[in-house]
Amino acid sequence: MNLTVNVEKNEKEYVLALSGEIDVYTAPRLKEKLLPLTKEKGTLVKINLEKVGYMDSTGLGVFISALKSTREHGSHLVLTNLPEKVFRLFEITGLNEIIDIEEKVRGGL
Amino acid sequence: MNSQSCVNIEKEWDIVSARQLGRNLARKLGFGTVDQARIATAISELARNIYLYAGSGEIYFDIVEDHPKKGIRIRAIDQGQGIEDIGKVMKDGYSTSGGLGAGLPGVKRLMDEFHISSVPGAGTEVEVVKWLR
Amino acid sequence: MQTVNLEKENYKQLLKRFIEKNDEETLYKADLFSKESIRQNVTPDEIIHVYIQALEDLYPDLPETFRRSLDFLLETMISYGVAYKEFQEMREEQLEIKSELALAAKMQEKLLNTRVPEIKGLDIGAISIPAKQMNGDYYHFIEDHRGNLGVAIADVIGKGFPAALCMSMVKYTMDSFPESRMLPKRILQLLNRVVEKNVDPGMFVTMFYGLYNPDSHDFYYASAGHEPGLFYHGQHGVFTEIEAKGLVLGVERDVTYKQYKRRIELGDMIVLLTDGVTECRRGERFLERDEVIEVMKQYTHLPAQQMVERVFRYFEELQDFQLRDDFTLIVIRREN
Repeated sequence: MNLTVNVEKNEKEYVLALSGEIDVYTAPRLKEKLLPLTKEKGTLVKINLEKVGYMDSTGLGVFISALKSTREHGSHLVLTNLPEKVFRLFEITGLNEIIDIEEKVRGGL
Repeated sequence: MNSQSCVNIEKEWDIVSARQLGRNLARKLGFGTVDQARIATAISELARNIYLYAGSGEIYFDIVEDHPKKGIRIRAIDQGQGIEDIGKVMKDGYSTSGGLGAGLPGVKRLMDEFHISSVPGAGTEVEVVKWLR
Repeated sequence: MQTVNLEKENYKQLLKRFIEKNDEETLYKADLFSKESIRQNVTPDEIIHVYIQALEDLYPDLPETFRRSLDFLLETMISYGVAYKEFQEMREEQLEIKSELALAAKMQEKLLNTRVPEIKGLDIGAISIPAKQMNGDYYHFIEDHRGNLGVAIADVIGKGFPAALCMSMVKYTMDSFPESRMLPKRILQLLNRVVEKNVDPGMFVTMFYGLYNPDSHDFYYASAGHEPGLFYHGQHGVFTEIEAKGLVLGVERDVTYKQYKRRIELGDMIVLLTDGVTECRRGERFLERDEVIEVMKQYTHLPAQQMVERVFRYFEELQDFQLRDDFTLIVIRREN
């Protein structure tokens, strides 16, 4: 499986639409694209996970890196449209308490 | 007699001239066809490195004698970017270049002696020797 | 086994015979010649060279055009010779790395080794199998001086070497804690500080820590984002998820963990696991948690150690004996 990352930029906001699987093979590429965006002070980085069919703990690692980077650089990270299975991972790990999650999608893929 | 010949490497075509010169010298010295081909391949690699990474440089050829041994010496000199991490470059071969070339380790394998010195930002010099058996 | 003479002369005789007789026996000898050449690190271009020389010896009057074509063939094989040598060196290097890794794995095994304690009234089983050589899962049993049983199960993000190194750090830290009774929430809080300070951003560890009092049969526990375990109600024969909330280790500097308590009845079981158990892939599909529970149910009648082993075999078979992730499963049952 593969992961496509689509980046859109409006003013002080990046919107990343992810589609596919986030695992040990695709996570490094996501990290490469995501981290630089979080280093711009004052930007909002919004990630749409609606089309993510599978994610493992390596994916969580990428979002933790991104979160730490936003704190360091004064930017902000928001996750939106999480499929239920993906949301559950954030819930189990307690990360939903510290990462801004806008809404989850019922059922998911 | 120990005359030195030189080929300037600027265009891809110059790689062919360097191969030709090296092969002729090797043949005159008495190298067999396999060694001639190996020497030519090593020259290719050195010349391609200059052409691709430094832009321009020179390749010098001469005969070395270390009694009773006799051999061909090739020196590739450029004033390019130089190499930061020679250790790493000496590990890059076919398997890491995706088949693009033998890399410097390949040159080392093709020849008997191999010396490299490089100053980052100033240039690189590679000297190789093949002895006649 | 025939020994093969790699001399040029031998090759020439074989070639001569084959040209004259066109027989299978000589072809077989050519086969042996090529195998022996590989064994003695002869490169492909060298074989071509031997062939050209043999041909020139046998047919001194070869047309010049044909002779020249052989040089062309040789030229195109030179780089294969270099590549072949490169592969040989890499193979040697790989063997070296493999043996180093095996040694490291052995050291890790020793370091992470824990004995399943024998405690009156408890039947305990545990299994932990790495997907690769090094294990990124970890479990640990400890008995304090009052006879309480401490149990830890942990999983570090990723697999292999980096995960194993991180887990060794966790183990060292736990070993440095005082022997006296430590509460699960306190242990997680202390561990979190150490992990947070020492790992790369993006790396984290999940851990469940439990403390069992064999006198009162109270089980105290806390979770740092770990895959939820299961309680088995012996009386009703049902599994329910152990609910425990808490952030994974290594993300925030100061975290306080919530501690829970539950009384364990006769015949009840505590099942702890890592996501290697719940993330078993069946073909393209991942196993649902309910299915995992169904599998466990089949083996609840067995002693704890047999139960964890049977469950492991089941999932191993399901994945065609290729574990995708480290697998750890612990069962603690209260019995008479």
